[in-house]
This record gives sequence, structure tokens and C-alpha cells, in this order.
Amino acid sequence: MSGIVEEYTMVIRVFDLKRGYFRLTLAPFSKVRSIRPGQFIHVKVPNCGVYFRRAFSVYDVDRQNRSIDIVFKVLGRGTAALARVCRGESMNILGPLGSGFTMPSRRETAVLVAGGIGMPPMYLLARCLVEKGFNPEKILFFYGGNERGDLVDLARIRKLGTKVIPATVDGSYGFKGMVTDAVAEALAAGPGRVRMYACGPEPMLRTIDEMAKLKEIPGQVSLEAPMPCGIGICLGCIKPLREGGYTRVCRDGPVYEMGKVII
Amino acid sequence: MTPDLSVEIAGTKFNNPILTASGTCGYGEELADVFNLSELGGIVTKTITLMPRAGHPPPRIAEASAGMLNAIGLANVGVDRFIEEKLPFLEKYDTRVVVNIAGWRMKDYVDLAARLTDCQRADMVELNFSCPNVEMGMEIATNAALAEKAVAAVKKVFPRPVIAKLSPNVTDIAEIARACEAGGADALSLINTLVGMAVDIETYYPRLTNNTGGLSGPAIKPVALAMVHKVYQAVEIPIIGIGGIADYGDVIEFFLCGAAAVQIGTSLFVEPTAPIKIMKDLKKYLSERGLRNIRELTGQVRTYQ
Ligand SMILES: Cc1cc2nc3c(=O)[nH]c(=O)nc-3n(C[C@H](O)[C@H](O)[C@H](O)COP(=O)(O)OP(=O)(O)OC[C@H]3O[C@@H](n4cnc5c(N)ncnc54)[C@H](O)[C@@H]3O)c2cc1C
Ligand SMILES: Cc1cc2nc3c(=O)[nH]c(=O)nc-3n(C[C@H](O)[C@H](O)[C@H](O)COP(=O)(O)O)c2cc1C
Ligand code: FES
Repeated sequence: MSGIVEEYTMVIRVFDLKRGYFRLTLAPFSKVRSIRPGQFIHVKVPNCGVYFRRAFSVYDVDRQNRSIDIVFKVLGRGTAALARVCRGESMNILGPLGSGFTMPSRRETAVLVAGGIGMPPMYLLARCLVEKGFNPEKILFFYGGNERGDLVDLARIRKLGTKVIPATVDGSYGFKGMVTDAVAEALAAGPGRVRMYACGPEPMLRTIDEMAKLKEIPGQVSLEAPMPCGIGICLGCIKPLREGGYTRVCRDGPVYEMGKVII
Repeated sequence: MTPDLSVEIAGTKFNNPILTASGTCGYGEELADVFNLSELGGIVTKTITLMPRAGHPPPRIAEASAGMLNAIGLANVGVDRFIEEKLPFLEKYDTRVVVNIAGWRMKDYVDLAARLTDCQRADMVELNFSCPNVEMGMEIATNAALAEKAVAAVKKVFPRPVIAKLSPNVTDIAEIARACEAGGADALSLINTLVGMAVDIETYYPRLTNNTGGLSGPAIKPVALAMVHKVYQAVEIPIIGIGGIADYGDVIEFFLCGAAAVQIGTSLFVEPTAPIKIMKDLKKYLSERGLRNIRELTGQVRTYQ
């Protein structure tokens, strides 16, 4: 019982990453140790009049301090209010929720594809892989955005020792073009056995999903859907499955094997 | 002395008056990851139909002010899989199980109830006459004569208590309530969701593929209270109050207006542990006022002359 907890945490730090991106540290969260990369928390955003919680992927954890970090972009009312919370404020969170990523084998190269605000779970995955002794040289961290400002916390990602390949649509930083084009280029260079992981906007995920199918590359995608409950009881967050029927992204996902869901 | 939260409906004892509402707690499995289901007075299952249903295509939920719209479209596993795969899970919990059923014709309700007759774990059935999101659902809900017939037909085949769940989308809910009582309903539950709509001002499309949906959550509580109050004066059978309950104060309000128990729905989405907290707060409320049990509050609202 009680894999999921609803509890009050405190805002430890609000870090302005610029251009509408923020990093928030919350603690203490009793389930920090059981969090797997790809899982998310559901946050009750105080004082903004939105009714539902808002879902955020876990970006980082600190097991010692029992803290969780999330990174978010201000989009609407909920995230705007979240950007205004203050240190010491109390915040109700529900989690850890959803399925996590499965790990690659040592013989594989892990290709991580993060698009925009899809970066947080990719970072945690990379970090866990490195911690588990996975050779950082065999982790290719693709990170795409429209412009330089969309690529946040690059220094932190680089510190993991993985190969980071930034891509911007306007060419203001790194590879010029879609991140998926950068991935295609790298895959064409024949990196050996590959496993792909992706999180980002739907068009990006669709391209990656197709690429994986075409090249028969195994891997997983992390999807998004508006989530009223986050625990599988409202049936509101559904996506159609290839095999027919629907899946609840919050509980059956958000991480799915490539090709399973019609994106 | 800790106050007694137990209630009795149609001769069936509930450990406490808090049930989770149909369609907001699945078949119990998911909530069991969050708290021990034995803490609940009862659990009302997602509406079961004869055949499995995938439900409406997304988007089928939309956020609203102090609530939400839904047009799930009665997505469920169908009665066979429900009995084989879902009901056994609830075996180990000390809580009442109310199986909510719906159909397109009167015969569907009868067939469903008959299938559940031998399932002892189904302590009661609740007839969903009122789902606004499926074409035929509304007919029995709005037609008193049909409602009476349907209840009577189910009562003939189902040996345990039958609850009729009422729709607020009617001209006179008391008339339907009386008809269900006449048909032999052991209890009434109300309200289901109110028909509502939301439109995207960029695309001009409604926010739900079903165009309209059912409004639920704190936004509907005042409507629900008024209807419970009205129905309480119209019938003798117990009433289970539903609509926007989020805290113990809401529960007390429903009791004062005539409820003998309550169901919590949408609030579970925002605060899945709400029932546990409400129970604790109810005990505190009662003991602070020297009340020995919650039952004595039913119908105690004072009205201005
Ligand atoms: C599993 C999961 C993990 C997520 N992880 C992160 C994360 O790590 N960082 C982050 O910044 N965001 C993340 N999100 C998205 C985040 O929940 C939404 O950005 C947030 O709900 C927007 O809320 P808001 O109140 O600011 O905007 P709203 O006012 O609700 O909406 C602003 C705009 O965003 C759209 N929108 C709202 N919610 C969603 C949604 N869930 N999916 C797609 N579009 C939406 C609305 O249609 C609207 O156009 C995640 C979502 C899910 C489902
Ligand atoms: C997502 C959702 C699904 C629902 N599904 C059903 C259902 O299958 N059968 C039913 O009788 N009522 C259903 N309801 C109605 C609730 O049981 C309840 O009557 C209503 O939501 C009002 O209570 P609330 O405000 O506490 O949610 C549903 C409500 C919601 C929000
Ligand atoms: S968000 Fe409620 S089922 Fe997924």
C-alpha cells in the first residue's frame, strides 16, 4: 500500500533560469528514494484559482535532503503562479506518479532526446545512468529548442560528463535546425547498438517514434496530456493505442515503448 | 468518547458516511495506492455496462471555475470483466461496494442487476439514470413513469438494496424522486453532473469532443444542496448527497439538508486523501459539539418561515 503520498513540502529555492524558465526545489518529500527517472509529481499551485493540480516531471532529487527539483516554463495561470511562490511557502504535492524509463544495456548507446520543457526527465535519466556506472561517453544528450534561451541548465547537464548536442531552430546555438535532424545525422553515422529515449513536444516525439520504427531502434517516449487526477481515476488523460483502445497517460505512462501509442 | 460516524442505509451498515462517487474512483485499485480503502464507508464503482466501452475520444475533460466538465462517455470494462477481474480486488477491504450500472434500455438494467445478483461483494447497486454524456441516458432520468418502471424491474431481480441516482437536469427532481420511491428504490443518490459547455476562443470549437459535458466539483455544491433539501421533503427513503464535497463542512451541510450519507467525487482528483481528512475533521466537529453520532444531523436544517 501507499506507494503514492500526498504531502506538504516547503519551497526551498526558486531559481530564475531566465526567459520564463524556473527551477524549484521542494523538500522534504518522504518518497524521494523511490523516484525513478520519468516519473512526475502533481502540484497544487497555491493562490491562482486554477482547480486542477499541475504535473511536473522530476528533474533532480537529493536523497540526503529529501528534496525534489522541477524545472518549468511559464505557460499559463498555474505556472505563472508557481513562478511567484516564495522560499518557505508550503506546497502540497502528490507523487511519485507514473511509470519510469527502463535502463539500457551496457552494450547500447543511450540516445536521449530532449525538446524544450521535455528536458527535466532526460536529465534525471542521464544522471541515474551515470550514477549506476553507465559510461557517460555512451550517452548522447540531444537538447533542442527554438533558440538559445530555451536550453536551460546546459552547464549542469554537461557536468554529468555525457556528450551534449544542443540544437536550436534559429541556429543561435549548436546544431542549426530541428533536434530530430541532429539525431538523424548522428544515427546515420552508425553509433552501434542504440536505445532512444525522448521527451518533448508532440511533433518531435512523433518524428522520433517514426525514426525508431524505421530504423528498428528500441526505446521509450514520455508523453504529456492534461491531467486532472494524475493517479488513474478520472480517465481524462487518455491517448489512443496502436493496438486499439485508450491508455491513461498518468498511470499506464507517461513513459511508453516506441510505437505503442498513436502520438 | 469518539463520536460514531457509522450510518445505516436500507438496513445495510456503513462504517462511516463517506463513499467515493461513481466514475471518480475507478474500481478502487488506484486509490488503494494512496490510502487503505477500508477507511471508506463505501466505494461506488465506475458505471458498468453490459459491453465494454472505450468512451469518447479526447479531449473529454476540461477545467472549469471551481470544478470541471467531463464527457468520459461511460468508459468501462463491461460487466463480465468487472466481475472476473475487478470485483475480486475489493474482497479484502472492509468497506461497502456499490456497483453503479447503466444501460440504453430498461432490459439492460435488469440484465446487469441479474448478473450481479450472485456477486455477494456487490452490496448494493446504484442505477445511473442520469449520465448526460450518452444519447439515451437521459430518457429514464427525465421521465418519471419510466424511472419508476425501471426501478421496479431491477428490484424484481436484485435481492439487495437498490439506489436510484438522480440527474439534476430535470424540471422537478422531487417528481422523479417520488417515482423512484414508488418503484421500490431503497435509497436515492443525488446529484449527478449538470450539463455544461466550454469553448476555445481561438478555434471556436468546444473544449470537449462531445461538445457538452457534465459539470462537477465545488461549483455545483449549492445546486446539489438545494436539490437534496427538496427531495428530503418529498420522500421517506434515505438520501445520499453528492456534489462538490471537499471538506467536513460540506458533509455537515448535506446532512443538515437531509442526507444520510454522502459521496465524494471530483475532489478526489485534486486531493485523493480528502476522505481521510474529512473523517478526522467530522469526528472533531461532532465531539466539540457533544454530538454522539452523525446520524442525528440528518434533516436538521432550520428554515426561515
Ligand atoms: C507528465 C507531465 C509532466 C510534465 N512535466 C513538465 C515539466 O517538467 N516542466 C513544465 O514546464 N511542464 C511540464 N508539464 C506541463 C505542465 O503541467 C503544463 O505546462 C502546465 O499544466 C501548464 O499549466 P498552466 O496553468 O501554466 O497553463 P494553463 O493555463 O493551464 O495552460 C497554458 C497553455 O498550456 C496548455 N496546457 C496546459 N496543460 C497542459 C498539458 N498538461 N499538456 C499540454 N499542454 C498543456 C494549455 O492548453 C494552454 O495553451 C508536464 C505535464 C505532464 C502531463
Ligand atoms: C470524470 C467523472 C466521471 C463520472 N462518471 C460517472 C459515472 O460513470 N457514473 C455516474 O453515475 N456518475 C459519474 N460521475 C458523476 C459523479 O459520480 C458525481 O455524481 C458528480 O461528479 C457530482 O459530484 P462531485 O461534484 O463530488 O464530483 C462522474 C463524474 C466525473 C467528474
Ligand atoms: S489524469 Fe486522471 S486518469 Fe490520468
